[in-house]
Amino acid sequence: MEATIEVTGLRKRFGATLALDGMSFTVQPGQVTGFVGPNGAGKTTTMRVILGLDAPDAGRALIDGRPYPKLQRPLSRIGALLDAAALQPGRTGRNHLLWLAHSQGLSGRRVDEVLEQAGLASAARRKAGGYSLGMRQRLGIAAAMLGDPPVLILDEPFNGMDPEGIVWMRGFLRSLAAEGRAVLVSSHLMSELQDTADHLVVAGRGKVIADATVADLIAAASGDRVLLRTSGRTEAMTVLAHAGATVAATGRDTLTISGLPAERVVALLSEAGVPFSEVSAHRASLEEAYMELTRDAVEFRARPAEEAAQ
Amino acid sequence: MSQTVTLARCRPRRRSWPAWTALADALHAEWTKLRTVPGTGWILAALCVLTIGVGAGTDSATRCATGVGCTLDTTRVSLTGILAGQAVVAVLAVLVISGEYSTGMITATFTAMPRRPVVLAAKAIVLTALVLAASVVAVAGSLLAGRLLLATNGLTAAHGFAVVSLARGPTVRAAAGSVLYMALIGLLSLGVATIVRDSAAATGAVLAVLYVAPIAALFLGSNPVWQRRVERYSPVNAGLTIEDTTGLRHLPIGPWGGLAVLAIWAAAALVAAGLQLRLRDA
Repeated sequence: MEATIEVTGLRKRFGATLALDGMSFTVQPGQVTGFVGPNGAGKTTTMRVILGLDAPDAGRALIDGRPYPKLQRPLSRIGALLDAAALQPGRTGRNHLLWLAHSQGLSGRRVDEVLEQAGLASAARRKAGGYSLGMRQRLGIAAAMLGDPPVLILDEPFNGMDPEGIVWMRGFLRSLAAEGRAVLVSSHLMSELQDTADHLVVAGRGKVIADATVADLIAAASGDRVLLRTSGRTEAMTVLAHAGATVAATGRDTLTISGLPAERVVALLSEAGVPFSEVSAHRASLEEAYMELTRDAVEFRARPAEEAAQ
Repeated sequence: MSQTVTLARCRPRRRSWPAWTALADALHAEWTKLRTVPGTGWILAALCVLTIGVGAGTDSATRCATGVGCTLDTTRVSLTGILAGQAVVAVLAVLVISGEYSTGMITATFTAMPRRPVVLAAKAIVLTALVLAASVVAVAGSLLAGRLLLATNGLTAAHGFAVVSLARGPTVRAAAGSVLYMALIGLLSLGVATIVRDSAAATGAVLAVLYVAPIAALFLGSNPVWQRRVERYSPVNAGLTIEDTTGLRHLPIGPWGGLAVLAIWAAAALVAAGLQLRLRDA
């Protein structure tokens, strides 16, 4: 059986807050699954439930068909990075990994291998308290890789990483998936996952809002919109609106048109003699797709500027 | 018949008993944790220095007018430092568990070892081993200091006092018992700290357990019934009777009985801690 994570109908309440409200999804092997959603969407709680740290009020989370607490030497089944800052500052990075290795019946040699893999070998004998957040993330990655697990779950691994580290992390996640592992990566910034994730689970208010491939999500958000750049904005709007299109001014000389294909737009404008410099099919970014999906699920949001000014 | 034998041979040997493997792994991990954090060595050194130092100080300050019915227990005086050293044991015990809650490392611990009561057991065993080792040094040093210093204050055999000596049965019992006492204090503190979790609160709670009852007992003179109850059933008062070597008939509880009371407190704290580890989210 292929290694997977199955989350079914998780519910969890912390006091008055409903953290999880029927969270369900599956993580497949051989791909990076992005787990995204605004703060408070229940991503971390879901991960803690998967790892057996929190008990759900209802539902269950299985790794290879078994609940986490039933796993023996679990780090060789599933590796996790939850909170990179959670270590004893007085202990060296290598010794932090050493006790973890010993808890799984692994030796110090394996520790040196994963330190090398995470690019942390040179800092291994320094106290972890002096590590930058990026270095702690790498230490957390090394810890997750200790047991060479077929399943990995990483909570916000890009946090605190410098650009070079982000590029490294993306490549690393891709290579894990290429090796056939199931990788679940949470993030509240969609742009971090744009070129990394194959599949996305979008969460909001404790449940899954969308569960689809990245390509499908972008196509859905893009619609049939056409972007137009013109110096005769008003004339263009009149002409196109008469032809039955929905036109929105998105900038001083740009319009977004929906309801008409690009060729028809060009033909209409040429006929009416309206000048234009650019016509292109609009392709939504992953960020836009995400904003669209989570608009109603954001817990804390700033009021739009105009509204605040009134 | 022969077939049955073959089958039995072919069956995979199930030597590794999972619970035992889990405990062995956890012991290895917890030992590595304790020996790779800089504080442990210092705390154990402090345990010895404080116990012997306070004991020696008390020895040199103890005087007894001869022939006025002075009934000093020289062994117990020598072991006075245990009362101070136990605070260091408590601090070590709190560090073992609350240190992980305050840094958040407890999530790594329970992710690596999901059987939480097994982790608690491993912590208890490693802590006990270290406390026993350090306490042997602390108690031996205290008795040696008592033997040397009390004599200079005239508390000698010539004046009717028992010289502190391991040739004396009750002193051997007090010495061995004091080492066990320290280990039990460690376990009681570990249990309380596991329930409380937060470092500062756990330190406060453990020190309260160790010192409130003994101090209360001092002020309960007006209420002999309650004073006796505290002396019999509070973990520290009862446990410390293990140090007494004279006037045993007048003790509120026998030396081993007193140590057993402490052991029951420690066991109860650990069982409660194990239960709440299972029931509460990490």
